[in-house]
Amino acid sequence: MVTSNAENLVADHDDNLEALMRQSLTGDQRAYATLLQATSRLLRPFLSKRLYSASEVDDLLQEILISVHKARHTYDGNRPYKPWLYAIAKFRLQDHLRAHYADQLRHAEDFDELEESLHEAVTEPVMSYESISGEVQKLPEKQATILRLMHEDGYTAKEVAAKTGMTESAVKVAAHRAYKVLRERLER
Amino acid sequence: MSDIDDLVAQLAREAAPVQPAPHPLMLSLQWMGAAAIYLTVTLAVSGLRPNLPEHLHSPWFVAELVALLAVFIVTSISAALLAFPDLHQRRRLALAPVLFFAAFLLVMLYAWQADNPPAPLPVHSFECTVSITLMTLLPALWSFYSLRKYASTHPGLTGGIALLSAFSVGALWLRLHEANDSIAHVIEWHYLPMLAIGFIGLWLGRRLLKW
Repeated sequence: MVTSNAENLVADHDDNLEALMRQSLTGDQRAYATLLQATSRLLRPFLSKRLYSASEVDDLLQEILISVHKARHTYDGNRPYKPWLYAIAKFRLQDHLRAHYADQLRHAEDFDELEESLHEAVTEPVMSYESISGEVQKLPEKQATILRLMHEDGYTAKEVAAKTGMTESAVKVAAHRAYKVLRERLER
Repeated sequence: MSDIDDLVAQLAREAAPVQPAPHPLMLSLQWMGAAAIYLTVTLAVSGLRPNLPEHLHSPWFVAELVALLAVFIVTSISAALLAFPDLHQRRRLALAPVLFFAAFLLVMLYAWQADNPPAPLPVHSFECTVSITLMTLLPALWSFYSLRKYASTHPGLTGGIALLSAFSVGALWLRLHEANDSIAHVIEWHYLPMLAIGFIGLWLGRRLLKW
């Protein structure tokens, strides 16, 4: 099988990424394609370790390859290629993670709103704890215990937290989830 | 064919010959040359301070000028290195301005101590900051315009350093133009605003040097 010079370069030595880039800068499309393929093989494990889903890895890898393409004039072929490449990869990864977490924050429930909703009655006012205690027992044990302590025994979320060894926030979140489940079941 | 293969094929088709960017030292030399011309022209227009010859015998004045010039040179080199994704693999040199700012601070502290009895404060105050800022505009615009052609992976820091470099040109101009001997005034209205300028540069860099 006949292989191109560019493919031989990569197969022979890793160091030849520099040579491939030098050729690419002169407009050698085959060398450039080989370099970008080698680059994506290098980066995939690096990204996979840092991101959860394969689709995220693919998206970010594409973004990094485009960045390499845009910034290739800042590489002269005389210094190691990998530090240059990883500097770009880390920069794009940071950007991606920043955007990802900012997005998560935007979609996260505002805790103040959550607290307000906890004071609201999730069932009709005429509905007492006793009337739905059967449904409460069907909830997971932790949620059922929290509701029993809060609505049958009259403890506050803080006191329940102290009794169960959970944090106050965790108690409120668990109670909120239990209310949601109860509401859905009772509305059926 | 996967998306990555498609993209690689597409990018390879677009791979025209590319002229590599100049070495960062060459780039910073270009900036320094342009700044030297700018400083010469502005001083020729505005005039040198009348007591400059006698002040050039004052060791602390000369030390201040040398330290400020060193800050300008080092920040120019650092900004040029920071314009490259990998800092041209000269990380220590890119972070050298920290040392030079510390040395500059030390020089100013000694100059302040040596200013005894203190020289009288000039009647003006913030006008000096405004003048330096106005003088800074052109070199700042030029350096940001130039930096946008590169690919900084530290856009905030690059912007901050580039703006400090431009501001030091303005500060040099005013020290050579204004007949003012009060170190307290110089520290307060010439050099302390550098801090704010650095933060503005950081903010501008994050916005203008995205790529």
